[in-house]
Amino acid sequence: MTDDEGNGQAVVRLTAVRKEYGESVALDGVSLEVNSGEAVAVMGPSGSGKSTLLSMVAGLDRPTSGTVTVHGEDLGALNEKGLALYRRRRIGMIFQFFNLLDDLSALDNVALAAQLTGTSASQARKRALELFEELGIAGRRNTYPAQLSGGERQRVAVARALMNRPAVLLADEPTGALDTRAGEQVMDLLLDLNQIGQTLLLVTHDQQLATRCASRVIEVVDGRIAGERALERTP
Amino acid sequence: MIGVVVALSTTMIVVALGLLAASSGPFDQAYTRQSGAHLAASYDRTKVTDAQLTEASKPAEAVAGPFAMATVALGSGQQPGQPDSMVTVGRADSGGPVDRLNVWKGRWADKPGEIVLNRNPVESSNGPGAMTLDSKLTVANGGPTLTVVGFAYSVSMSADAWVVPEQMTALHPTASQMLYRFADAATNEQITAGQTAVTTGLPSGALLGTQSYLALKALATGEPNTFVPFLMVFGWLGLAVAALIVVNVVSGAVVAGFKHIGVLKALGFTPTQVMTVYLAMISIPAIVGCALGVVAGNLLAESLLTRAFENYGAGGIGVPLWVDVAAMVGVPVLVALSAFVPALRARSLSAAQAISAGSAPRAGRGLRAQRWLSGIRLPRPVSLGLGLPFARPARSALTLAAVVLGVTSVTLAVGLGTSLTNYQTAASRVGAVDLTMFAGTSGPQPPSEDGPPVAKLSDPEDEALLRSTAGAQYVTASADLPMRLAGTSQDLRVSFYRGDFEHLGYRLLEGQWFDGPGQVVVSERFLRQRALAVGDTITLDSQGKSVRVRIVGKALYNSGEEVLSNWATLQLVAPETRAQLYEVQLQPGTDLGTYVEAVQAGDSGLQQTSGQDAGTFVTAVLVTVILLTLMLGTVAALGVFNTVVLNTRERRRDLGMLKSIGMTPAQVTLMDVTSMAALGAIGGLLGIPLGIVAHRLVVPAMANGAQVDVPDFMLDVYPPQLLAVLVLAGIVIAGLGALLPARSAARTTIAEVLHNE
Ligand SMILES: Nc1ncnc2c1ncn2[C@@H]1O[C@H](COP(=O)(O)OP(=O)(O)OP(=O)(O)O)[C@@H](O)[C@H]1O
Ligand SMILES: [Mg+2]
Repeated sequence: MTDDEGNGQAVVRLTAVRKEYGESVALDGVSLEVNSGEAVAVMGPSGSGKSTLLSMVAGLDRPTSGTVTVHGEDLGALNEKGLALYRRRRIGMIFQFFNLLDDLSALDNVALAAQLTGTSASQARKRALELFEELGIAGRRNTYPAQLSGGERQRVAVARALMNRPAVLLADEPTGALDTRAGEQVMDLLLDLNQIGQTLLLVTHDQQLATRCASRVIEVVDGRIAGERALERTP
Repeated sequence: MIGVVVALSTTMIVVALGLLAASSGPFDQAYTRQSGAHLAASYDRTKVTDAQLTEASKPAEAVAGPFAMATVALGSGQQPGQPDSMVTVGRADSGGPVDRLNVWKGRWADKPGEIVLNRNPVESSNGPGAMTLDSKLTVANGGPTLTVVGFAYSVSMSADAWVVPEQMTALHPTASQMLYRFADAATNEQITAGQTAVTTGLPSGALLGTQSYLALKALATGEPNTFVPFLMVFGWLGLAVAALIVVNVVSGAVVAGFKHIGVLKALGFTPTQVMTVYLAMISIPAIVGCALGVVAGNLLAESLLTRAFENYGAGGIGVPLWVDVAAMVGVPVLVALSAFVPALRARSLSAAQAISAGSAPRAGRGLRAQRWLSGIRLPRPVSLGLGLPFARPARSALTLAAVVLGVTSVTLAVGLGTSLTNYQTAASRVGAVDLTMFAGTSGPQPPSEDGPPVAKLSDPEDEALLRSTAGAQYVTASADLPMRLAGTSQDLRVSFYRGDFEHLGYRLLEGQWFDGPGQVVVSERFLRQRALAVGDTITLDSQGKSVRVRIVGKALYNSGEEVLSNWATLQLVAPETRAQLYEVQLQPGTDLGTYVEAVQAGDSGLQQTSGQDAGTFVTAVLVTVILLTLMLGTVAALGVFNTVVLNTRERRRDLGMLKSIGMTPAQVTLMDVTSMAALGAIGGLLGIPLGIVAHRLVVPAMANGAQVDVPDFMLDVYPPQLLAVLVLAGIVIAGLGALLPARSAARTTIAEVLHNE
């Protein structure tokens, strides 16, 4: 599940990204690079623009000005369909509230990500099962989201994000809705993924999550990058 | 959204109830509409003056007249098929307090020399020689020639024809007509009492005759009430669809508002306060919608009903007041009820439950279906879409019911349309008779100065000419004779045919064509009105001669007064008669104009007559059917539209997630449209059989009302290809309803819903 470019090259590049919502400015000239194999944490006060930043990278919304380039692709040049295909191929996303489909089993939720690209149901399920085994939740594959614990749901969500071997994994407060223990398990999982080469960009309030998983922390205040520091990870 | 749906549904309900109300008593409706006379009386002009009549009429509620009246004998030189005499009344205008006439074609007479005929628009009067606008009528014994300028219909049957009063004077009126309306006219006694009141003090022997409204009503029961069955079916269908949609939309809106309700509760509103707030929020758009709907419904219903009951000759039938009241009261009650049930549930939900209930459907529904769908070999958006209805079974069921009824209506409408078109084609012989040539009168009299031109050649020569002119395929010659069924006073028109009559479009329903003298073929209506059957023998009288004929067959046409026979039979009655009409079917590709010119070069006296009058009645039915179907289809599609809007709103998060993992806008649209198209397909499969059953019930009922037969070609109107198209109709109704909201769902930016909520 590693990215095919060598370590050290910029996978995500934001140049002077500005995002306005009507009057209010959510991002104000953000420039940022995330290199392949890196794990970058975005931190900052509530409302500072962290989730907005992530949406820009995910192509869920378009910047008012500035450019976002991921894996060599300029997102500004893509139409809606192009963005959807981009999300399919290049990124995986996990959210604070998991966002699983309630009426699909855990396995089908994960398989779905591959099935959208036209992969057959049996192949998609096979690949999903591999991931379930790697993530230690194979026993829960036929369970429905409502019956899973928060930590399990987030691991299912991670599996779904990894289905299409993304160049970068985007996480928005992945431990925000979890208790300490489940949060730690998810952190371990993310760390493991990064250590085998997965590029990570995660948004968090959680100092512990940042120090444990990230090699670099970016501080966002009022839509601007206020600071940046490298971290010694403390596993 | 609620406002729009309630408005449309109310429109539908008003129209539906209006249809039901009108179909329950069309005769009375028409009578009321025209202010029909409860009593029509004729008085001897030599015994009573107009002033006396007016004076005596004071006890009546409303009066029209006195009008001068005469039975006018028509002279020779008429086209065949015209009556010998007509009860003619002098009236300056068609309105007035009593017997307001509906001039449905042409205009009212406004100067001498013009005449307006009383004719029911629905009655087939397409026979050869039937009078049309601009036809001329010549009064016997050197009387004036009158031009037909209009057709009117009097439900009161107050006259056969009308002229302006000045013209009437020239026609030597013998009687005065008075038309009365009484305050009470429900029973024979009341009408008799009314009659006594308005004739008190008049010279004895002045009253010549009367006609009571109740007698007319008794007659009308047997009249073609053809519209009634199908209006009733459409009325009920419309009512059901509209009610379903309102329930679906309103309860959906309340469920969608659960979250809002939860927030209110969290703010400290009591459960009852919450409910009140909610019902108030729903009622305002509902009441506005209802008011708009009633107005629109009245307009639409009026135009529909006017069309439908043209055959009662009444222009502009309205919606009775109780319908408006029922809609004004019933729709808000329906809205309140459908809001109440989920609101009651909201009342008992905790704030937290309510907040979550609005956004995510509870897990556990339709899981098995979803699991199966996940594995099947379909593009994933399609299988996801197929699974969606299972998440909201109640809503899906209501939507499905609306689609089923929509498809039922479309099926019924298409079937009715086909049946009626088939009937019209068969009855009017469209496509069989390309050309009708008129040869002039049958009698030996010399042609009058301004009468119609008369054939120069003899009958056999004319027929030979028509046959030998290039392009002719089949030719018949015919002559009409007024005859009477022995022992009755009913005038019949008997058409005697010669030549290729089997090929000129009449459909034989029973028995066989005549093949020898003394044989006739008649219509179903003829048989029913006289309780006769094929095989019976009847006696026909004409000009003092009698002939016994056997009914050898029954053909499809819509007149109880026309009889078909052959030339051999004519020889028994009036051997000297020449053919007056020639009907010609041309070889395909022949130019009509060229043929007519060639024929007229041979005999300049042969005149092309106006062809068949396209049946106004069938057209009216078709227009009504199409309008009603469009409305029902629209309302059903709106129900689907609403369901998709609600589902989309509730599934914002799911949609956001699907997009975040790379679902393209096209796939989102595909998913949503599929979810409804699936309902549409099921709706089609259920609605079509229902529609066919309804058709099987409605067509015979309509035919029965019209006293016509129901041959198989009127019932077998659903070939397999059509059924396939109708299934598609269900899918299309649903798909179209889904398309718009699905596309907007596909386009919305969903970044925020993923992070928040
Ligand atoms: N869809 C939107 N419409 C309008 N304003 C928005 C929208 N999304 C975000 N904003 C505004 O942009 C600013 C940044 O929001 P954003 O969600 O990125 O903050 P955040 O750093 O993720 O906060 P939190 O830590 O609370 O999640 C806020 O002021 C927010 O109100
Ligand atoms: Mg955020």
